[in-house]
Amino acid sequence: MKLLGVTGASGALIGCDAPSMVNLEEGKEHVVSYLLPAEDMVPGLGVWYASMCLQCSAGCGVHGRVREGRPLKLEGNPESPINAGKSCQMGQAGLQAHYNPDRITQPLLRKKGQLVPSSWEEAFELISEHVGTNSDAKADRTAWFTGTVSGHQRVLLQHHLQALNSTHHYAYEVVNTAVLSAVNKAMFADESPKLRLDKAELILSFGADFLGTWLSPVHFAGQFSKFRALPNRGSLIQVESKMSLTGANADLWVAAPPGSEGLLALGIANYLLRHGKPEIAQDVPQEIVDFVERYDARKVAETTGVEYDLLRRIAKALESRSPSLVLAGAAVEGQEEGYAAVAAVQLLNLILGNIGKTIVPSMEFPLPQLQVKNGSTADLLAFSQAVAEKKLDVVFFHGANPLFNAPESLNLEQNLKNNVALKVALAQFPDETAMQADVVLPLSSHLEDWGTHVASYQPSGSVLGFQQPLMEPLHSETRGLGDVMLDLLKMIRPEEYSAFEDYYAYLRNAVAGIQGQVADPLQSAQAFWQKTLSSGQIQMEGGEKNFSIEVHLADPLMSVTNESYPLMLVPSPRLGLFDGRHANLPWLQESPDQITKVVWDSWAELHPSTAEDMGIGHGDVIKVASESGSFEVKAYLTKSVHKNVVAVPLGQGHTSYGRYAEGVGVNPLTVLDLKQEKVTGELAMYATAVKLEKRGTTGTLVRMGGTDSQQGRQFVRTVPTYKPQGV
Amino acid sequence: MSIKNIVDNWSKYRKGVEEGGHHDYEHRWTMSINLDQCVGCNACSTACYAENNLATVGKEKFEAGQAMHWMRIERYWDKPESEYPEDGASFIPMMCQQCGAATCEPVCPVVATYHTPDGLNAQVYNRCVGSRYCGTNCPFKVRYFNFYSYPETAWPEPLNHQLNPDITVRDKGVMEKCTFCVQRIKAVKNTAKMEDRDVVDGEVVPACVQACPSSAIVFGDTMDESSQVAGLWKEHEVKRQVTEQEKSDPNKRGYRIFEELGVDPSVMYLERMRDTDI
Repeated sequence: MKLLGVTGASGALIGCDAPSMVNLEEGKEHVVSYLLPAEDMVPGLGVWYASMCLQCSAGCGVHGRVREGRPLKLEGNPESPINAGKSCQMGQAGLQAHYNPDRITQPLLRKKGQLVPSSWEEAFELISEHVGTNSDAKADRTAWFTGTVSGHQRVLLQHHLQALNSTHHYAYEVVNTAVLSAVNKAMFADESPKLRLDKAELILSFGADFLGTWLSPVHFAGQFSKFRALPNRGSLIQVESKMSLTGANADLWVAAPPGSEGLLALGIANYLLRHGKPEIAQDVPQEIVDFVERYDARKVAETTGVEYDLLRRIAKALESRSPSLVLAGAAVEGQEEGYAAVAAVQLLNLILGNIGKTIVPSMEFPLPQLQVKNGSTADLLAFSQAVAEKKLDVVFFHGANPLFNAPESLNLEQNLKNNVALKVALAQFPDETAMQADVVLPLSSHLEDWGTHVASYQPSGSVLGFQQPLMEPLHSETRGLGDVMLDLLKMIRPEEYSAFEDYYAYLRNAVAGIQGQVADPLQSAQAFWQKTLSSGQIQMEGGEKNFSIEVHLADPLMSVTNESYPLMLVPSPRLGLFDGRHANLPWLQESPDQITKVVWDSWAELHPSTAEDMGIGHGDVIKVASESGSFEVKAYLTKSVHKNVVAVPLGQGHTSYGRYAEGVGVNPLTVLDLKQEKVTGELAMYATAVKLEKRGTTGTLVRMGGTDSQQGRQFVRTVPTYKPQGV
Repeated sequence: MSIKNIVDNWSKYRKGVEEGGHHDYEHRWTMSINLDQCVGCNACSTACYAENNLATVGKEKFEAGQAMHWMRIERYWDKPESEYPEDGASFIPMMCQQCGAATCEPVCPVVATYHTPDGLNAQVYNRCVGSRYCGTNCPFKVRYFNFYSYPETAWPEPLNHQLNPDITVRDKGVMEKCTFCVQRIKAVKNTAKMEDRDVVDGEVVPACVQACPSSAIVFGDTMDESSQVAGLWKEHEVKRQVTEQEKSDPNKRGYRIFEELGVDPSVMYLERMRDTDI
């Protein structure tokens, strides 16, 4: 029997304290003892361990099936209030991130311009020269650049920065809800209120892809299932410029130009206050009535090009079904007036009386130091500016890939090269950012590492997700994120951190500390630790926040195109490749895009009538050019986009990310104009105007299925919503 | 099931649906898929890749129709004449329907595909010679042929460490398809047998069912009349071994695809609904 890749000391591993694991030398075959087999090592027997999915920041709990020391399958953790035993395809593909053939397996150092294999000692020596105790590191000249980060990794990161007298932690996520959080904070004093899709009779979503890439898709899919259940099936209206997965499930899908959503929300509000039931207007403050009065629904229809009759129908539906829920997605936020537009959408919720019914206060997270720091694009812009102004000497990168998904006009690659003396990447894969770093530290996969995580969106109480390794490191030279952070801290503050042998010891200590605050005090520390490991989470008590409603009235304006750049670019995130971080997972590359069914490629979605006007056919190669740059891509003609837009999915266009990602497709983010949302400073991602030019007719788009029509065969039968008698 | 038994009793195994099927079933594994709850997200499909050692074939072979997606989500646009698809897309998960009178079975020259006492269309990989008659004869097009030796290319070290040891990796020249996760069924049946009891409803959970974020798929044994899936078939008045369903009420939304061909599919779909009052 060959045991694959099980090496090294058997320390605290796999959901139990030090099972006497068989130590194996790599590459040699051994027979496992049947007399005293470790619990995870019984040949032929799968054992399940709780851990966490880190494929996005939704924080789903997973159960991993481990057999012969290897995780073979991930399932949702039924105990998790986030995903309740379910999982999405990105979570399923976490296994391929772990077993990926293109992982970085040893430290790399830049020597004479080239990254060459090195050792941890040498790498740490170099880092120590820059930020060690004896270095001349200056205050505020060191930064961490990460994705969304939470839990004890965030605590260590903060400590590291404090030890270096710096405050620069930049967290970058392309797919984020930063503007929405800002509006929620201002309007309700709650950044991330709980959304009760299951309690709504009608959901009006302005481009919020809650089944695909928005906040917590697996959780919302579970709620959506309840929302859709008979006898009182809820209805979904989706208003957006490019059909998302959520839009594809709408009872009514309305095509609207990007940036029109705020106006449309106000137009609908206007109709409701003028023509709706008197009860609706009754409790609305005069200030709001006066404000909404300015957005005559007919005028809004004219400005946005969305038919007045559609606005009327939406308003009528909202009037007759209560409670409802109105959501604002990424395209609403990603405008120069994104804040005003989101505020307009929330105003509609307020007028409809949804606050407190389908939008309810979240819980106070009892341990604020562990609270999630959500990534934003404002942080990317701030970081880019700091680099351009030569304000940083040392940057640590983890969990973000700005050299792939930052707009080219930021000139980040060149600035980093010239202005930052030491770039350290803590990376699992040879992505664009890691390959430009001076030091690359190979990290464990999420299935080999310890960690605690707080979900960006907490649907139920306050949960600290607990991640534990499902297997010993596949590659002996890789180390866990927390271990590396501890080592970095020991470099500066040995007296404080040498007590912790490793991150596991640190976490055990930390969990014992948490126990005093949240758990049944009768439990022993050992029992609490075991319970934490087996349930994969710590459920904490936290007081419910109080909504304090403060209305924000601001005029949303639409982004406009001009004659030279007649179309708006919609860079659309996909459930699957997401922002590009999963492009190296073959399961997800080969999993067809939900709407277009294209695999292993990029494409530009164009409405057939727009394409016809421009003489573009399906599969033609077109050049998409903004003021800031251009790329070539194949055209995909579909009616699921607004006529004034060209939608290009995110995820592809990697120049360095392993064999499955490199050279596949294009990345639309590179050509974004550097417009900013005016209140939050977020990048206005949906406000770039582009022009198209036909370049050739040679392209083929590989996709699943030969036909868009059922040809009368009635595979999918559709009936009007069934309403039981008397309802 | 020995091949001798099958050959000796060939006529028994070839009986069509109108003759009442052909087995003394031990179980009747069956599905119900609610198309009003399926959101088309592909979670089931990727879960299937993970569970069943499905090879990724790459862009060129995908274009040639050689993808191995046992469970695929088809997407249709229903109103080609409208300016925009106002009621969204139509998604349907499509996989082997484990037909009671399967058209794939009688055409296999070597009886590699046969009917099990569980009501599954089993595929014996070792017996398959790759004639592909079964794939040609399948009206659902859910059989997938290994045109190449994917074990050499699809799982470069260490991706191969993920392969599920409970089932095989298929090599060139072999037909494969959805098995309703037969390895999970087997494991549960073995456990039940060792504990001297019947399989309990909900014990067997295929990978797609387990992953489905909107819980659109229900799986179980219709011979167990108390099972959830049996209840759903009954509630929606879908009967086996018929080519046309008689409904007492148009709101009974269950239907089977291609049942008019007399193949007796084991998968019932529930009609997608759209609110026409908005």
